[in-house]
Amino acid sequence: MKRSITVISVVLMALLMFTGCSKGSTESASTTATAASVSKVSITLLNSKGEIQTGLEKIAAQFEKDKGIHVEVIACGAGEVPYTKVTTMYNSGNAPTLAILDPTDIVGLTKEYALELTGEAWTAETDSLNLVIDGKIYSFPFCVEGRGIIYNKAAIEATLGREFDPRTINSYSSFKAILAELRSKGMENPVFIAKEDWSLGAHQLGFIYDAYDGTTAGSEVIINELKAGKDPLTIDRFNQFVDTMDLMLEYNFAKADPLGADYDQGALELACGNVAFWPNGCWAWPNLVEGGADADGEFGFISFVLGDDTSDFANNSIQASASKQIMIDRVQASAEQQAAAKEFINYLVYDATGQKMFVEETALIPAAKNNPNAPLDPLGQDIAERTAEGRLYTSCFIAPSDHWSVMGAAMQKYIAGMSSKKELASTLSQYWKAQN
Amino acid sequence: MKKSTVSDIKAGAMFALPGLLVFFLVVIIPFVYGFYLTFTDWNGVSQLKSFVGFRNYADTFRDTEFWSSMWLTLRYVVISVFLVNIVAFFLAYLLSNGIRGQNFFRAGFFTPNLIGGVVLGFIWKFIFSNVFTAVGKSLGAEWLSKSMLSAPKSAYFALILVTVWQLAGYMMLIYIAGFTGLSHDVLEAASIDGATGWRRMRSIILPLMVPSFVICIFLTLSRTFMVYDLNLTLTKGGPYASTRLVAMHVYEKAFTSRNYGVGQAEALFLFLVVALISGVQVWMGRKKEVSA
Repeated sequence: MKRSITVISVVLMALLMFTGCSKGSTESASTTATAASVSKVSITLLNSKGEIQTGLEKIAAQFEKDKGIHVEVIACGAGEVPYTKVTTMYNSGNAPTLAILDPTDIVGLTKEYALELTGEAWTAETDSLNLVIDGKIYSFPFCVEGRGIIYNKAAIEATLGREFDPRTINSYSSFKAILAELRSKGMENPVFIAKEDWSLGAHQLGFIYDAYDGTTAGSEVIINELKAGKDPLTIDRFNQFVDTMDLMLEYNFAKADPLGADYDQGALELACGNVAFWPNGCWAWPNLVEGGADADGEFGFISFVLGDDTSDFANNSIQASASKQIMIDRVQASAEQQAAAKEFINYLVYDATGQKMFVEETALIPAAKNNPNAPLDPLGQDIAERTAEGRLYTSCFIAPSDHWSVMGAAMQKYIAGMSSKKELASTLSQYWKAQN
Repeated sequence: MKKSTVSDIKAGAMFALPGLLVFFLVVIIPFVYGFYLTFTDWNGVSQLKSFVGFRNYADTFRDTEFWSSMWLTLRYVVISVFLVNIVAFFLAYLLSNGIRGQNFFRAGFFTPNLIGGVVLGFIWKFIFSNVFTAVGKSLGAEWLSKSMLSAPKSAYFALILVTVWQLAGYMMLIYIAGFTGLSHDVLEAASIDGATGWRRMRSIILPLMVPSFVICIFLTLSRTFMVYDLNLTLTKGGPYASTRLVAMHVYEKAFTSRNYGVGQAEALFLFLVVALISGVQVWMGRKKEVSA
């Protein structure tokens, strides 16, 4: 009996040591961290844009050299949902000091976790791109991304045998005319429509909100109307959007099998000049390069035309907004780390090296207008040119996180010809009414 | 007597405790915690969790998409379990009669199971969308030049096809083990009694193979019910959410719609369905077992 008690107590002791050990090791780890932080602060940055991981790591290394602050760039794996990743990190107590996230995710996290940044100097450099929540700013607009309809100038000119001026496409009719002309000159189906639900649901359908009056506040107006039960069929932007969509479907390259047309194929067909137009955004550039596009080829945007009014802002400009924002953790990071995180943002905005590296290493378009470096790729250059000329609208509609998935499925059904405009409208209406 | 009981417990504890501890930490605690979450309105990240009673369960019953994907999954499971086991059984039968290159074929059929569902999904997606369509176009066959993944029915069929391809090899191995374990005495006695061909199969081999069937059907049932990786990479639930199986629906509910409570309640319901069906299957199978 006595022996068995000894054995049981030994087992219990061992178990205790087990838990004790793990606790002990974290403690010692954190002590070393604090010891090191006397000379060096260490912060983490969650990166949700896989394609810029190496670029960010280079910037972080340079930043450490210049400012003595170590930034660990944590990648969000391909296919891993950034929001799920950040959620896991928060729940396990190692929240990233800085997190690059979509505006929708920032809105979801702000109330409990984001540090207020309203007073930061850079807010003046990013003015219309700031994400304002209840009158306050909680995130740094990291980069600008724009979307419209990408054209391949060389392919168009080769087919038409004349010069092509993208500015002449500023209405539904002018778009229709050039598509008909391309068809008559031998390019049978000049438009590519990718079947991806996120592209169809968020980027294409999103124009009905973003083009309301070109501002985020305007997109909220139309969303609130839909929530209140307004029939989409009575909304001008919805009708114009479906008209443009129908027009593109008529000239769809993948007409025979619209849902077999995937994104990578779109990049390939546009880069090779098999199609002239692809409704998409500037993030498609790396894909176009993979598809064989020349680095200084003539690619750019025309507006996602809506209706026939040539003076309509939606027909003369494209949508561009700060599609990625950086928030700083308020809850788990120390005051020192928060200060270091702010310094990292300032480095990107004000430091000459930071500015240059941002443009060159990430190939993104900076949201801060004081950055003198021109974007590297043609799509980015088009957006920079449009920024200078004011031919952009900066609305960035905020929808629930499942909007792209639900409406993406409805759009897929529509482009496959399996549902009518009326059904699309009713799905849209039901979706928003259920959000009340 | 007493001493031996105590030392039994002691010895048992020495062996069982570490495993039990791990099982408790990674299975039981998350399960109980998940059960608790079904009574809250947690969004997955908030520090606040308000108690909402049975509202998530009520929402589960009202979620028509959940029920339609459950129905879709049930049909998928029935068809897949049926096909996987038939194919596996006949492959095993063919490959345990000592034909030439038997081991090579066994390895070949088993290989798909070694490739993870994610990779498998991508490979087949490429085959369905690019290879088949290219062949179709060059042959001028209209029906083959459209991707199978772009229409709901053919995409669903594609999902079943790949499942059968993936699982049949694994089940085949279990059936081969079953065939190898068949008592030669019994088979010999049967052949002396004049049982050959179909009679031998139906009256001797099948009853003796029941334990293999119980295991294989159980494994295919649970694996097909919970399938997510293949569903995600092959069809991504598409076209237009027509092939979204129940595990994917639960994931979308919890993480895309950020409705953790309802997603968790639906997951619990799914667990009950799978546990019930597999339990009944094993219980019924065991009753049919005979010993040689």
